Amino acid sequence: MKTCIACGMPMKDASEHAMNDPKKDYCIYCARPDGSMQSFDEKLESMADFIVRTQGFDRKAALRAAEDMMKKLPAWEGCF
Amino acid sequence: MSAEQGKRQLQKEATRERILRTAAAVYSERGFATPTNVITQEAGISHGSLFVHFSTREDLQISVLERFAQEVCDELHDLSVNNGSVEEMLRAHIGVLKNYELFYRNLVSETALLPRETRTLLVSVQSAMSHHFGTAVEQGQRNGTVKDLPLHMLFNIWIGLLHYYLQNGDLFAPGSSVLEQCGDELANSFSKLISK
Ligand SMILES: [Zn+2]
Repeated sequence: MKTCIACGMPMKDASEHAMNDPKKDYCIYCARPDGSMQSFDEKLESMADFIVRTQGFDRKAALRAAEDMMKKLPAWEGCF
Repeated sequence: MSAEQGKRQLQKEATRERILRTAAAVYSERGFATPTNVITQEAGISHGSLFVHFSTREDLQISVLERFAQEVCDELHDLSVNNGSVEEMLRAHIGVLKNYELFYRNLVSETALLPRETRTLLVSVQSAMSHHFGTAVEQGQRNGTVKDLPLHMLFNIWIGLLHYYLQNGDLFAPGSSVLEQCGDELANSFSKLISK
C-alpha cells in the first residue's frame, strides 16, 4: 500500500490520492484546492488543526507533535 | 555484490528481523524497560550483536514502535468502512488492537518514561484512529443520530475508557484478553451514550 509522502496516511483507493490520481504521491488531505501539494507551513498548520480538533491538544503541543511527525516524512526531508 | 556478500546481507537482515520480533514479544510480556540482555537471550544471539543492528536501547525501542505504529495505522485504514456507524468503527478499532493488546497496554502505561519520539508515534497512531472516528461521528452528527459534543471530547472519552480497561485488565478479565471479554460491551455502551 502506498502512503502519502506529506502526512503518512495509507492510500489504498484512487479517491484517496490528490485529484483522484493514483500517480500523485500525496493524499487528498495534503492537496490544495487546485490539487498542488500544500507547503511545509500549510501542512504544519493543517496537521496541528486536525490534532486540536480531533484530540483536543493545546495548540502549541499540537504544533510540536505535528512537527515531530513531519520530520519522519519524505516530503519534508529538506525542511529540518 | 558477490554471492557470499549477498548471503551475509540476508543473514544480517534475518538477525535484525529476529531481534525486532523478539523485542516486540518481550515488551508485550515484560514492558519496555526490560534490559536488552533479556531480549538477546530470548533471540539466541550475543548481547554485542544487538548493537550492530541498533546503536542504543532507545534505537531498538523506537524501531519496534515504528513498525507497530505503521502496522496499526495500515490495519485501521484497511478496516475503515465508508458510511459505517460509530459502533462498527469502534468494533474495528478494538479488533485491530486485539492483535497487539499487551504491547499497546504497556505502551500507553509507560509512554511517559519512553523517549519523546515514542510519544510522537503514539500520537500518530491516535491521529489515524481519530481520523476514522471523526469521519463516523461527524456523519452521525450530520444525520442527527449522534449528540452534538465536540469531536475531541468524544474521542478522548472513548480513549480514556478503553485505556482504563486495558490498564486494569487484571481486574476486568483476569488471565484473559480484556478486549475479547469486554470489547463488545465498551463499544456498545459508548455508542449508546453518544446517540441522540
Ligand atoms: Zn497526506
